[in-house]
Amino acid sequence: MIINFDNSATTFPKPLSVRKAVSYAMERYGGNAGRGGHQLSMATSQAVFRARETIADFFDASPENVIFTLNCTYALNLAIRGVMTEGGHLIISSLEHNSSARPATELAMNKRIALSVATVYDDDNKTIASFRKLIRPDTKAIVCTLASNVTGQILPYKELAELCRQHNICFIADGAQACGILDIRLSHGINILCTSGHKGLYGITGTGLLVTDGKFPIKPIITGGTGSLSQSLKQPDFLPDCLESGTVNVIGIHSLKAGVDFISNTGTERIFNHEKAVCDRFIRELSKIPSVTVYRKPQCRYVPIVSFNVNGFSPEETASYLSQRGFCLRAGFHCAPLAHSSLGTENGTVRFSPSYFSRLSDAVALANSIKNMAELKKSQKTIEITS
Amino acid sequence: MKVCSVAMPSYTYAMKAEKLLSARGFICSIRRRTGKQSATQGCGFSLVISGNCSDALYILDRYSIPYTLDDEGGV
Repeated sequence: MIINFDNSATTFPKPLSVRKAVSYAMERYGGNAGRGGHQLSMATSQAVFRARETIADFFDASPENVIFTLNCTYALNLAIRGVMTEGGHLIISSLEHNSSARPATELAMNKRIALSVATVYDDDNKTIASFRKLIRPDTKAIVCTLASNVTGQILPYKELAELCRQHNICFIADGAQACGILDIRLSHGINILCTSGHKGLYGITGTGLLVTDGKFPIKPIITGGTGSLSQSLKQPDFLPDCLESGTVNVIGIHSLKAGVDFISNTGTERIFNHEKAVCDRFIRELSKIPSVTVYRKPQCRYVPIVSFNVNGFSPEETASYLSQRGFCLRAGFHCAPLAHSSLGTENGTVRFSPSYFSRLSDAVALANSIKNMAELKKSQKTIEITS
Repeated sequence: MKVCSVAMPSYTYAMKAEKLLSARGFICSIRRRTGKQSATQGCGFSLVISGNCSDALYILDRYSIPYTLDDEGGV
């Protein structure tokens, strides 16, 4: 028995339609997209374009502004490095994943940009104010996760987008934990949306997206073959070719289209409500165990992620105990040290993250296992004391 | 019926133009670029349009779709 509650890392299982799409793509789309005029290549190119269109519709973008990447980390690197090429000041939030915190820090350490970190509070107004007061005349971009990958806290991204608009700053959003669960659109004011394809969008691993409104130019970080203007040694300057050098992941892209179709047919609200119900039940069960700390605040809004710890056990010990019982949960720092500094969880946390396919009964069974583990410790302590 | 051919910067734009024009009654097809333009600019795709080419190009301009007149039968 394997029950995956680590869907924030990558969703599993995938919808049947996605699995079928992968198989179909393996059989039909054996050409190289945009690279040839023969039937196989043209059919593959059409399939990639259809995926671009589907994704563009989903996020309110133009098809040519949908860039396929390897993952969200690649998309964020492309956005940050591509927008900050000429230097300037960058602001990131205190809840950022290393996928944006590391490229931003590297650029700052090499003195290519100035970097500030805006504190995220439980109160959205205070969060917005913390970003506002860091804005300088040379601020070029704000990078902000839409929802923390540690606690699931949803940031006030629409207000931050408006703040960026007022100051002509590029708003780069990390949608890895929000896309497919919340209704995320460029029309909410996001200039560049970066997300993974294999999490809430239900594509396969090795897929990611950068979706831009085109207002802020992004310089490529990798150049090479694009299938266009190939007599020129200069990289094309138009999207998507400018940012998509090398052969794209055709099968992954086709899976991503199927994933987005699945979400559109199901509805983000329905997906969110189901996953929230699983989280709510899990939290209710955890609240019956005195030695468990859940990292949530009543005044905050959350995507369906629950971070917790069991007193007397390290996060890794907890996850290991649960893994032996078939439950897959992520323990540690979740590649987000800034977020753990903010939370005060210096040893990390255990993260519970369901998907649309998670069952309430499995969440209850998991909570029972945690209860058994906590009681085991209690009885061990009693034995130690009596002996 | 008049036929014209325009060189598109990429396959993505060729598809976008094809969909736009097809929805407006033009018969279009995407072909691999050949001839002089291929030799000078390299690989790429052309959109072959049947119908009133001036009208078709007006639509492409209106929707800011980049193209160049093909050497193999522009308008």
